[in-house]
Amino acid sequence: MENNSAAPSPSRRDLLRMIGVTAGGAAMYQAMSSLGLAADSPYRGAVDLQGAPAGASVLILGAGIAGMCAAYELRNAGYQVQVLEFNGRAGGRNWSLRGGDSYTELGGLTQQCRFDKDLYINPGPWRIPYHHRGMLSYCKRLGVPLEPFLQVNYNAYLHSSRAFGGRPRRYREIKADYQGHVAELLSKATRQNALDGSVSKEDQEKLLESLRGWGALDKNNAYVSNNTSSERRGYHKDPGGGLTASPVLSEPIGLADILDSKLWQGIAAGDIFDMQTALFQPVGGMGRVGEAFGRELGPLIRYNSKVTAIHQDDRGVNVAYEDTRKPGTQLNAGADWCLCTIPLPILAQIPMNVGPALAAAISAVPYASAVKVGLQFKRRFWEEDEHIYGGITYTDLPITTISYPNTGFHSGGKGVLLGAYIWGANAMEFTAMTPDERVRKAVDYGSQIHPQYPQEFDNGVAVAWHRSPFTMGCFGMWTEHTRAKHYDDLCQIDGRIALAGEHASYISGWQEGAVTSALDAIGRLHQRAVAQGVKA
Amino acid sequence: MNALFRRVKMRRLAALLVAAGAAASTHADDSIFISRSSISDAGGADIYGHICQGCHMPQGQGAVGAGHYPKLAGDPALVSWQYVALTVLAGKNGMPAFGVPADQFILGAVQLSDAQVAEVVNYVRSHFGNKWKGGVTADQVAALPHPGK
Repeated sequence: MENNSAAPSPSRRDLLRMIGVTAGGAAMYQAMSSLGLAADSPYRGAVDLQGAPAGASVLILGAGIAGMCAAYELRNAGYQVQVLEFNGRAGGRNWSLRGGDSYTELGGLTQQCRFDKDLYINPGPWRIPYHHRGMLSYCKRLGVPLEPFLQVNYNAYLHSSRAFGGRPRRYREIKADYQGHVAELLSKATRQNALDGSVSKEDQEKLLESLRGWGALDKNNAYVSNNTSSERRGYHKDPGGGLTASPVLSEPIGLADILDSKLWQGIAAGDIFDMQTALFQPVGGMGRVGEAFGRELGPLIRYNSKVTAIHQDDRGVNVAYEDTRKPGTQLNAGADWCLCTIPLPILAQIPMNVGPALAAAISAVPYASAVKVGLQFKRRFWEEDEHIYGGITYTDLPITTISYPNTGFHSGGKGVLLGAYIWGANAMEFTAMTPDERVRKAVDYGSQIHPQYPQEFDNGVAVAWHRSPFTMGCFGMWTEHTRAKHYDDLCQIDGRIALAGEHASYISGWQEGAVTSALDAIGRLHQRAVAQGVKA
Repeated sequence: MNALFRRVKMRRLAALLVAAGAAASTHADDSIFISRSSISDAGGADIYGHICQGCHMPQGQGAVGAGHYPKLAGDPALVSWQYVALTVLAGKNGMPAFGVPADQFILGAVQLSDAQVAEVVNYVRSHFGNKWKGGVTADQVAALPHPGK
């Protein structure tokens, strides 16, 4: 993928189209997240904030990843730091719902999570790619243990409700057969001299050899049922030991059937930069990162604090807020500088005296609609019956995704799946439902892939991000047009106020965007603070 | 609900999701999922109930958290159908635009036709206790500025 933000717009648009056409649900997610800008993280190690003026203070709004990573660094650099957080917990969208938790969404409906001990879902972010070095660095520094996140599982499914009688196919079958048929065709074209114009005779031999290897072709350059192809796509009966051990070969699916099924769209999900192995998840849930930050910062964070007004003048920043447990109270906090990480739909509604460019930028970014549903089942049937250990099944149903737990393999008792990860219009519709309806729908759809669902379903929770009281949406959806018009204005320091968060990054919807934007913003705030001294 | 399935237009995302293999089942029981439909004359009630109410709530009562979703019930600003229609077309703050033309590429966006915008504007102005007179037509909506044009 491109990572050049200066690329001309048509190419970026074409790129996005290409992603949509050639890749699967995960690619859709990735494309929505980054809008084609899967840049390597600009994280360059611990931030250098030497020389903080004595007594200088920074008020941070929001104890999500951006706010807490900024608070951590600024505190360590000697700044006086205070963080105001709307929720009663640290983390923001870095969040795990576990048994015993309760969650009240906008509109007032409350869900009690009834998962068993140690089981959870991450309503927000759930994976950390190896190149998100900022996030990984904070996990390391905060002592948050990581374990592998499995993006690609060759034994998970690709599913189309309109192909193969609605029966899911194993990822390995689709991948091996698609690749095998394509290799055979290309090999045929080569031998029929169709490539003479573009590949030299000498290279054609090398190409044929590589196609045999890549596509699991036989010595005649054909993709057929044999040991070589069964070694890729799996056997009809696996080889074993003892008397009846001989394997039975499997029969490849025909090229026309694969093309018609469109299941090839799901092959490339794990090839996307943000989804490439290795990926990680914190042991115990993504929320462990926010919790660790919260412990580290301790009393610096004031919870249950709803910001109602932000005012700056030439001497400092003053923020009015309300204790959400005592509605009607007005409290005030002041500092020399302010780092504001409040999500834009909320910030747009808070009176704040900033210039027109920043104000326009704050109002210019709609937030993506997304819904996640966690389902607890009475047993880990996906492991016991279907031998699926972690990873992701992709489907053309509105749920798009079933993700199997990447931990606790073979543990007895119940298990929790991510039963739906819904985007766009489908997410808007799921948002319009009650949480119970969302869960019921996720079970209905999932039953088309796993017939065990109705029998084994235990309970579930559903988080619709537009009903989230603390974000009012999932993440900022930039377009090339709004980026060109507003992005720099959003990131510029306005007087004494700087913004940070995934919305102030090119890694939209990823925690690494929050980290790198926060470090960038505090670096620039620090320069101003140093230039101005303690009291400007 | 089948009528709804047939009627609401959602060209951009539907096209993409179909292409991406991330949506669009033809299962009989998912007809409430308007996102898989392609025809442009959905009723205001259906659009409201399947899209708008996610944020503005079933009775148009809005909601309050760290910020708020505006209450539509009894909102005097609804006196102006143009205000309502422009907000639906262009979005506002975190609210997405529903009037972005099909040739503009916005992932995750939902596109409503001018007729649908008219229907949903008429719906919110005549429900939840709102009793504003005068229905709006697709032509009147078409005459308003649209985002991206």
